[in-house]
Amino acid sequence: MTSMTETDAAARHELRRAAALAMGGPRKLEKRAEAGQLNARERVDRLFDPESFRESGLFATSHLEADKDVTPADGKVTGTGDVDGRRAAVIAYDFTVKGASSGQVSNKKMQHMKDLATRCGMPLVYLAESTGVRMPDIMGGTGMGSGNERTRFLRKRESPWASAVFGYAFGSATWHTVSSDFAVFRKGAVMAVSSPGLVSRATGQQVDAEELGGWKLHAEVTGFADAVANTDEEAIELVRRFLGYLPSHNAEPPPVVPVTPGSGERSAELRSLVPESRAQVYDVRKVIEVVADTGSVFPVKAAYGKSLVTCLARIDGRSVGIIANNPIFKGGAIDGPACDKATSFLTLCDSYNIPIVFLVDQPGFLIGLEAERNKVAGKIINWMNALALVTVPKVTVMMRKNYGQAYANMGGGFTADATAAWWSAEVSFMDPRSAVGVVYGVTQEDDPELYERRLAEMARESTAYDVARVYGVQDVIDPADTRGFLIGALRDNHLARTDGVGEHLLSTWPTSF
Amino acid sequence: MSESIHADMSANVWKILVAPGDAVEEDTPLMILESMKMEIPVMSEVAGVVVAVHVSEGDSVDPGQSLLDLSTD
Repeated sequence: MTSMTETDAAARHELRRAAALAMGGPRKLEKRAEAGQLNARERVDRLFDPESFRESGLFATSHLEADKDVTPADGKVTGTGDVDGRRAAVIAYDFTVKGASSGQVSNKKMQHMKDLATRCGMPLVYLAESTGVRMPDIMGGTGMGSGNERTRFLRKRESPWASAVFGYAFGSATWHTVSSDFAVFRKGAVMAVSSPGLVSRATGQQVDAEELGGWKLHAEVTGFADAVANTDEEAIELVRRFLGYLPSHNAEPPPVVPVTPGSGERSAELRSLVPESRAQVYDVRKVIEVVADTGSVFPVKAAYGKSLVTCLARIDGRSVGIIANNPIFKGGAIDGPACDKATSFLTLCDSYNIPIVFLVDQPGFLIGLEAERNKVAGKIINWMNALALVTVPKVTVMMRKNYGQAYANMGGGFTADATAAWWSAEVSFMDPRSAVGVVYGVTQEDDPELYERRLAEMARESTAYDVARVYGVQDVIDPADTRGFLIGALRDNHLARTDGVGEHLLSTWPTSF
Repeated sequence: MSESIHADMSANVWKILVAPGDAVEEDTPLMILESMKMEIPVMSEVAGVVVAVHVSEGDSVDPGQSLLDLSTD
């Protein structure tokens, strides 16, 4: 028989539990629901497989006596659960509790999740929406002196971090997002160091929230948004999908899945998808769809540095990271954002044992005033340094033209482990039409006959077979054999000694680019 | 509503494919720029009617320069 004391304890426990689960109260929750926003607990439920969430810190509140009844879970829902059967940790910002601001106790909860994910080898997901640090708790020397900042933003990529940004994100929600391996922004989300109000007060500058840190800015200009979603649900689904390509931690290879039906069946289309004329554009994403397993392509930073495509995909059921030039944008010329995008993607792949595939068709780096002012020289060589440090398998297919320094950046010149060129590929230091002008100063308009003669000189020995003759590529292939070449080369270069695990020399590279 | 189409890189205007008054669909090529020895089409991102063309064939354009205006009413 249950004693009276036990019944009291159970009732008291249930009251406290209900108060914590009530978050910021029905009024705030209803308002969110009306606006089509999920609350923090609904988001966690979406993230994890049914019934798998195990909460840590339900009974936490603010350490301040005056706030303890108005800070359920201290504004952060934290714990662990399964994503497609694999364990992951979560930090979900509860905006209904003091704007999900970070206080001393919620900071302890967040640090515990980070430590757990690192120590035990599981991904950590941020479901971000926060006003930033909690005011006035942080004010003064006692506030500032109570933190432990050294390892708070230490990022060694032992296990993946993913962040979904749903609404306003300032302070730690921003810091965690920019240090994540993948960030998705729901349309309407705003992420910045400080809120527009604080910016106006501090600097006198009147700023609009969207202009300061809107999702579109981060998708197109800063590149902090790896993906954009229309709804909370879609954003969380993208996080789940992203994690599906990655290992739970850096000491294991990514999961292998069955090859999807139809994969490789459209290979013959590769002979016609790329126009023969080197000057004509096309969308390389159509090529990637044919080469990769059917339905497996997952774009990363699709709206940023668009002349270069980066995407996760699967080939023969195995995760790969594909880096491809896209002539439909800027003719495929590689600009500063495209350089940052490539380096950031190399860092992702190298950190999590994901082999890299280059699909190459590029006219060179985009040169000019804007490029130089945006430090493109430094970006080009950062990329080269990163490429030299990558220890996961790298496989290159040169599809059409391939010029200059970018030839090496895109996996040429023995920067990759296996290389093939399509039989139609053309490799040189620059477009021969440009070279005639540079070397001889001859234009087609001024002297057509001499121009043609010099052009023939400059275009000689630029075929795939010329590169193959000096073993600059290991094979010359029919475009339709691209997928077959990649499957074979990835098998040959699989790191069998370590079961596919690389050295992660890039894992401490900058958390954002 | 009108929508201005801008150059996204330094280029020469090679061919102009539309004139004021032309109706265009989404993804219609409006003009072809030449840069980095590539023929780079400028596509309409919306359906509309060409209101004005601000450049001529042979012009050089800078990033951000307005190329043409579309009315989307």
